[in-house]
Amino acid sequence: MNVTEKPAAPSIVERLRYQLGGSSDFIVRFIHEDPKDPFMYAVCYIDGLVDKNLLAFLLEAVAAEARDESGLPPDLPMSLASRVPVGALTDADSDDALVQAMLNGEAVIVGTGLTGGLCVAIPGGPSRSVEEPSSQTVVRGPKDGFTENLADNLSLVRRRLRTPHLRIEDRVVGRYTRTKVAVVYIEGIVQPVILDELRRRLDAIDIDGILESGYIEELIQDTAWTPFPTIHNTERPDTVAGHLLEGHAAVLVDGTPFALIVPVTFFKFFLSSEDYYQRHDIASFVRIIRFIAFFVSLLLPSLYIAVTTFQQEMIPTTMLISLAAQREGIPLPALLEALLMELTFEVIREAGIRMPRVIGPAISIVGALVLGQAAVQAGLVSGAMVIIVSFTAIASFVIPALGMSAAIRLMRFLLMALAGSFGLFGILAGMIPLLLHLVSLRSFGIPYLLPVAPLKWRNFRDLFVRLPWRALKERPAVIGSRNPRRQPRTGPKKEENRT
Amino acid sequence: MNDQTTNPSGLIACLVIYEIGSTTLFLQAAEAKQDAWIAMTLASAAAFFLLAMYLAMHRQDPDRDLFALCRAYLGSWAGTACGFLFVGYFAYESSRNLRDLVELTSQVLLNQTPLFIIAMITIIVVANTARYGARMLFLCTLVLLPFLLMGYALLIVMLASQQMIHAESLLPMLENGWRPVFKAAFPELVSFPFGQTVLFLVFFPLVRTGTPGFSRSVYLTYGGVSLFLIAMNQLTVFVLGQSIAENVTFPLLESVQLIEFSQVFERMDILFVFVLFLGLGTKLAAFFIGAATGFSQLSGIGYRKGILPLAALIFGLSFLSPNYTHHIWVGKAVTYWFTIFQIALPLLLFIAMQINGGKKGRGHG
Repeated sequence: MNVTEKPAAPSIVERLRYQLGGSSDFIVRFIHEDPKDPFMYAVCYIDGLVDKNLLAFLLEAVAAEARDESGLPPDLPMSLASRVPVGALTDADSDDALVQAMLNGEAVIVGTGLTGGLCVAIPGGPSRSVEEPSSQTVVRGPKDGFTENLADNLSLVRRRLRTPHLRIEDRVVGRYTRTKVAVVYIEGIVQPVILDELRRRLDAIDIDGILESGYIEELIQDTAWTPFPTIHNTERPDTVAGHLLEGHAAVLVDGTPFALIVPVTFFKFFLSSEDYYQRHDIASFVRIIRFIAFFVSLLLPSLYIAVTTFQQEMIPTTMLISLAAQREGIPLPALLEALLMELTFEVIREAGIRMPRVIGPAISIVGALVLGQAAVQAGLVSGAMVIIVSFTAIASFVIPALGMSAAIRLMRFLLMALAGSFGLFGILAGMIPLLLHLVSLRSFGIPYLLPVAPLKWRNFRDLFVRLPWRALKERPAVIGSRNPRRQPRTGPKKEENRT
Repeated sequence: MNDQTTNPSGLIACLVIYEIGSTTLFLQAAEAKQDAWIAMTLASAAAFFLLAMYLAMHRQDPDRDLFALCRAYLGSWAGTACGFLFVGYFAYESSRNLRDLVELTSQVLLNQTPLFIIAMITIIVVANTARYGARMLFLCTLVLLPFLLMGYALLIVMLASQQMIHAESLLPMLENGWRPVFKAAFPELVSFPFGQTVLFLVFFPLVRTGTPGFSRSVYLTYGGVSLFLIAMNQLTVFVLGQSIAENVTFPLLESVQLIEFSQVFERMDILFVFVLFLGLGTKLAAFFIGAATGFSQLSGIGYRKGILPLAALIFGLSFLSPNYTHHIWVGKAVTYWFTIFQIALPLLLFIAMQINGGKKGRGHG
């Protein structure tokens, strides 16, 4: 086995090189007996897209094939296939297919006696190992999160659902990025109507690049004109598995740890996978807290503005006096004061996400002390307003889904403006259109406020509270109603006796 | 996936809020004094037969709404005229509710804001609601109903816990004989609030009414709401006493104001206004949607295109009365005329349906 400089130009390798525009990461390894001979085989690959160890195995196997005394066997791919120790093998006839195979992390074997080429999937390259999800953390529950590697992510899901009914459908989206997108569902539980709609919408995508599942989310959602997310995203494989068991379908995108789940209803955004791992009573309590936090986060600043500006008579006298004393000397009306503080908080929050980790402590000192403490002492804002804004901010972090809390933040500003101009009446005038908007939203045809409007009593067992598992014998109506039973009608104990 | 929104539960919720509507805002059957509950019971029983008639009409031709029924059974010309009368009636009822809501807001929440600004905001919110159509209103009421019921339940509990309910003001029963009771009940109370279910002839075809339990649940809802309204009306009298209740503008709010939670909540009436808003607003929107549906069906103009002119019309109509007292007085006067729409016209239609029933066959479905 010898590897030397290029011999008399073999046309197929040159064509491949031409297609890739002579990019420097296109590597060709020629394998031949005699340096003067034209090569027998060439292994082409893109540097960095293949696994180095597997490549070594592969080169060795190809070299062994080349050394074979019998020369070129009549059925070369078969013979080579039996020798190549790794990876899925495919034949490719056209140059385009060969180039695409290389770009997908396959090594391409071409030879003098071969018409096309043999593609060996040995994908590799830098990737992150499985770590704890950073955006959705739990105290009790699995700590593994998705990575940027689609194959790893699929294995994380598959490992939780070891059933032949788990189906994975691959497709490629993006003319330039050629991103692998996998639709995952459980056959027999998922609603075929929803699945067909999902496939149709994914197939309709024609875009140059998909860099994150957010692209897909925006392109397949029912309407773009809403601040509310109509597609769930998660970094947690257990969340995906749980949703698949309820009849949802998931979309995993290569290159991002965020998987999409469709369809999704409003209330799903207030549930965490941990709700199912904790005792049901604790989980129910926490859920109620989350719904309270939702209202606090949405309404507290506007209610404060409305009551202090328009309906002071609602406040008990002693409290009113203390509030009035605080507001004495504050130059701004309550609405501007609140907007100022909310804006400050939003800036601190955004800075907290974008800034380099090293200067984090500095920002928190500036944020907490200078903007909070000092602003009150300087008489720019009242202490009560700082409390209101801080509590609102903290409440918004209780909602497990970031997309939902972002929508609530936007709505909060609108409601504050309405409260500042028309008081409680303005808040109501804002809430009714908001409610109508939510009611009219749909996620893959499923009404957004599903178990409440339209009413489905069956789903209330796992909504504001979570009943114990023994009471949750059925999947949620509509979404997973094709195969509604999760547990047999009889209790688990009787089931054991029967066997 | 239309089956999701045609679930009748939304219509039932809407019926509840609609019937409660603005009724609790005013003292009903004031002429009957302490016997108001008897008058209301009689009126609601009478209106029950009206509701049964509306439901029978719907069952006979479940695919047509009120306007289509008019055209199908009264002939094209008379049916269209009759339909437009209904549109006018719905629009006027809507404007009355708008004025009530505006006055309530102005008296309790925004004393210094001009009426027309409040009316403008309200009509924008309601027109936006109407834009989504009746089914979305039903879904909306499903969400709002728990809040409404909680509000009233809380009110009753608090009034009871502070020992403000003086049930002895129920006596003496029938002090002045049956005459004032009947006078209060017919036709005024039949017409408002109980007879207003005529609007639901527009809404019945939108939901799945074929299920056997539908009529029963409508009757049960109607009965429950009637009982509730009678109880709330009497409760106001129990708390305030007959003479005060008769003379204040919003007796229920007056009684809410008496609730005191030392140092925690004061002026509960301001919060309670929201509960009233929900009822008023739903009724307003329901009438608006009824009028808009009829308008677009009869004139052939698209549903959404008709919303804006209708909103302008209702906005204008709500300012017909120069002041609130006049508005209330007109309200008392027109209820007699409204029996045309609740009893006479539907009865005519019903009879026409019985005569022509075989010939016309079922609706376009």
